[in-house]
Amino acid sequence: MGSDFYQLSILPFAGIIIKICRAYTNSQEDFEDYYQEVCLQIWRSKDNFNQESEWSTWIYRISLNVCLTYLKRRKSGDKEIISDPLPEEAIDDSKAFASDEINELYSAIKHLSETDRAVILLYLEEKTYEEIADIIGSNTNNIGVRIKRIKDRLHKIINRKD
Amino acid sequence: MTKSIEEIWKDGFVNEAHLTVPKVNDLYNRQSQNVVDKLKNMFDINIKSILIGSVITLILMSLVGAPYLGLYICCLLVPLIIIAKKELKKTVNLSKGQSSYDYLMSFNNWLKSSIQVYSSYYKIFYPMLFLGMAVRGIMSNMGGELIAELVEIIPTGIIILGQPYYIIAALALLTLIAAKYGDAIYRMDLDIVYGRQFKKLDELITDMEELRK
Repeated sequence: MGSDFYQLSILPFAGIIIKICRAYTNSQEDFEDYYQEVCLQIWRSKDNFNQESEWSTWIYRISLNVCLTYLKRRKSGDKEIISDPLPEEAIDDSKAFASDEINELYSAIKHLSETDRAVILLYLEEKTYEEIADIIGSNTNNIGVRIKRIKDRLHKIINRKD
Repeated sequence: MTKSIEEIWKDGFVNEAHLTVPKVNDLYNRQSQNVVDKLKNMFDINIKSILIGSVITLILMSLVGAPYLGLYICCLLVPLIIIAKKELKKTVNLSKGQSSYDYLMSFNNWLKSSIQVYSSYYKIFYPMLFLGMAVRGIMSNMGGELIAELVEIIPTGIIILGQPYYIIAALALLTLIAAKYGDAIYRMDLDIVYGRQFKKLDELITDMEELRK
């Protein structure tokens, strides 16, 4: 990958990639792996970008699609697995971000299914229901109901920890 | 919790410049761990392994005095190379820039169609492989001696293709069994290696389909 492409087309949008990758990983090592994989796939797919949507939307799409199908390497043995929602007792509050509240929110998000994580991340990024439906490939009518359900679940998880 | 999750998010990311961006090293040479790329790599390795395997088989079989069997196995492996190359070409159309549902669906469709193509061939491959090896065994000196001993125990006047009828019947039966279970053997192998990922993919698609209803 050209350094110019990374500097000009990926780095200004690194925040999007970081926020998405953090929701699908539980360690710094995995996070860095996911981040690099997303960058690689953005670079590989750049010729398919048809400018019908914004570049940032393209980055959301690639980041989510990579996170949904990425293979983590298990430390013991050599089998590859795809990230699962972890049981609640298995997730420690991460110190990935400076704000404790954000870390707590991320910890709660990781209890959700992979699809729900994608939906809530896009919602929190202030994407409209139409944009979320377009990126996920779902029906706009169901997005609102699903977001309401996810938010209730997140509140429950966070309040239980308090 | 006093703040809403929207407020926590907004306050937490008020300045994205503070986010620590991981170092990006040697991306070009990075071995991708994406499931699609992983399968592409596997197909690629598969093609090379089959090529090398057929040459080795041919050499080994020639050394043990069975060059025709070596050649026969090579001929059985060649279609696998052609199939793997064709399937590999189809992955070019899988763009990660589609919506998540479309991407997962196109990946899943490609996966299913590839498995179907491979599976159809394995239904022929396994029985033909068995048949080739069995015929070679029967034609060998040791095979001939064994059959002669067998005829002494179970004498028969019914000879088909120069062999006692029960040898031909057993051969036909075992070939049919290999044909019937060739697909199952291939799928069992797939399940051991990729079962968990396939299940995960199905779950993701089911979840997304619920959102589309």
